Amino acid sequence: MTQADLYTLLPLIVLVIWACALLLVDLLIPRGRKGITAFLAALGLALTLGLTLAQVSAAGTAFQGMVVLDGFARFVNALLALTGLLGVGLAYGYVRRMGIERGEYYTLLLFSVAGMMLMAQAADLIVVFLALELLSIPLYILAAFARPKETSEEAGLKYFLLGAFATGFVVYGIALTFGATGTTSLSGIIAAASNGDAGLLLTIGAALILVGFGFKVAVVPFHMWTPDVYQGAPSAVTAFMAAGAKIAGFAALLRVFGLAFSSLSADLTAILWTLSALTMIVGNILAIAQTNIKRLLAYSSIAHAGYILMAFVPFGNAEVLPVSVAAGVFYLVAYTLTNFGAWAVVIALEKAEGRGLDLDDYAGLGRKYPALAAAMTVFMLSLTGVPPTLGLVGKFYLFRAVIAGGFYGLAVIGVLTSLISAYYYLRVVVIMYMREGEPERVSEPWLNLTWAASALAVVLISLVPAPLFAWASQAVFALF
Amino acid sequence: MVPVTYYVALSAVLFVIGVLGVLLRRNALIIFMSVELMLNSANLVFVAFARLFEGLAGQVFVFFVMTVAAAEVAVGLALIVAIFRSKRSVDVDQMSSLKG
Amino acid sequence: MTPLQLVFLLTAALTLVAAFRVVTTRNLVHAALWLVVTLFGVAVLFVLLNAPFLAVVQVVVYIGAIAVLFIFAIMLTRREMRDQGAQLNKGWWAAALVSLLTFGGLFWLTRSWDGFTRTAAPLPTGQDTLSALGKALVSPDAFVLPFEIASVLLLAALVGAVYVAYREK
Repeated sequence: MTQADLYTLLPLIVLVIWACALLLVDLLIPRGRKGITAFLAALGLALTLGLTLAQVSAAGTAFQGMVVLDGFARFVNALLALTGLLGVGLAYGYVRRMGIERGEYYTLLLFSVAGMMLMAQAADLIVVFLALELLSIPLYILAAFARPKETSEEAGLKYFLLGAFATGFVVYGIALTFGATGTTSLSGIIAAASNGDAGLLLTIGAALILVGFGFKVAVVPFHMWTPDVYQGAPSAVTAFMAAGAKIAGFAALLRVFGLAFSSLSADLTAILWTLSALTMIVGNILAIAQTNIKRLLAYSSIAHAGYILMAFVPFGNAEVLPVSVAAGVFYLVAYTLTNFGAWAVVIALEKAEGRGLDLDDYAGLGRKYPALAAAMTVFMLSLTGVPPTLGLVGKFYLFRAVIAGGFYGLAVIGVLTSLISAYYYLRVVVIMYMREGEPERVSEPWLNLTWAASALAVVLISLVPAPLFAWASQAVFALF
Repeated sequence: MVPVTYYVALSAVLFVIGVLGVLLRRNALIIFMSVELMLNSANLVFVAFARLFEGLAGQVFVFFVMTVAAAEVAVGLALIVAIFRSKRSVDVDQMSSLKG
Repeated sequence: MTPLQLVFLLTAALTLVAAFRVVTTRNLVHAALWLVVTLFGVAVLFVLLNAPFLAVVQVVVYIGAIAVLFIFAIMLTRREMRDQGAQLNKGWWAAALVSLLTFGGLFWLTRSWDGFTRTAAPLPTGQDTLSALGKALVSPDAFVLPFEIASVLLLAALVGAVYVAYREK
């Protein structure tokens, strides 16, 4: 272990130590002032973000090839630190209002972010596995954080059982991969796979790992309990979970499938194609019938997992893959900002005991709170993919890459399902502006900052998307 | 000597029994026990292949799987006991306070 | 048939029967006890595979901690101990189909993969796997990073479990 090894993981190490210290410091903070813990957690995440952006070095592995630092890892880590910051910002006032303000919330959130960042840097299946667990276990607890509220406990348990089941598939898949190649290191797997002596065992192992990840990122048909989990978990947790778990899952898919398993594309492309198409179709169609905004956003999140999965469908095509992955990364940024913005609006209107979550509760928002309604409109347009929003730009890059890979059918399905989704996203807008009602909102500085800044970013970046896309491309292209 | 095939075949059957348990049963505790069966079958494959490849990596992986299993059990049983306190049931089909 | 093969076959049969009982029995305590039998069977297989340390860990961690925790959880939720209601969930037929397909896939795999013809290397003599394993776990040149991650993971799980199970006055 050298200094170079430690430098590779510097932001992560700082974050983990910060989380452990926060656990102790929190004991000294009196019950009613847990806001201080939130500020300290945000400070730690900001420090991590700064360190991530300041990390400059050529791509290199560390700890005997267990982890890697490259442009992709830095980009994704920065996005994850931002996700954590937004997660803390949403939680700050929300947990106090809901009577669940406890220091553990922020510690667990930091641990989860650490797991996600580790996932982005993983270069060995051991690290992939442990990172997956490190990000998941705090999320199970956070989903159940409003205990003894039944819905929250139920969400926690369902998420846990689903996650543990997924872990079983991932571990068995890794075991078969190990059996086929004799190694767990991703570079070792690439070498063994290119020798052609891995064979069927590797394919089955990869398929089982894919099933496991499918459960984790809620791809149809592995989505059964996801809407329940998203609905039952505290809203601030759901917002963090929806964005963070997707980013980390995407990073893992890139590391494991895009790079290590690319020789299996003949067998797996069709499967990925089907999963992506099914997820887009089922997610969007089921969302239509929803009357609860949390459940609607849950199905929307499932549908977006399908769009993001699209980026991996050309994973055997070395020319198209970098472009499509860059588009996927860009789409993740768009989704993260939009997602947090939308959930911030949901939180602003949510009352205790799960009231204020029906679509009807949004009636009259346009008249009473024009700014909030305008922000929500921006987020709904962005989720649909209508100009002038980041969602449209993201979808444009994604569809363009998929078409370049020759998957016209998938692009058509993507466009058609986006049209379907317009129905339920725009219905929210219609209710806000066309119906009479007396909504009551909560006004908290951090919450307001989150939705206002997200809305501005979603619109402004969409006007000049090229620099961000160039950054994403630069981060991804170095991998291939 | 017993060929490695036998161990892998045995673990495959064990894995499928675990999957079956998760998908078929309604009791959260049994579902969780079935997950443990799945993890054990994976461990068996790892040790079998570690034997084949003569390296430590396989055995070390098993060590970490056990660690994770212990962590999951702590969290999972805490969740199950907590939900039993409020609902007096651990039947996942009866958990329907969340429906759309 | 050598004695080793006989031991393997008996253990394998016992493990599978016990595992099957875990997922089929109605009584939760019986399920937990069958789980202990399964875990013990796997421990014996570890010994046969020249991994005595893991066999010990299997007994200590899996049987000593995990299975016992399960029994605790069953006692704490004891209304459910004699579960008389429906045991199968609503989607059982789909589940059975998926499991059968998985089994078919894995079975086909074990038949067709040629890697199995490779015979296991003879048992290394005089090599101390335990100390090698111990050193590898904490050596910076081997697995110290996963080891540290695992410890962070355990801390997170501990904090979380205490939070969830803690009953506020």
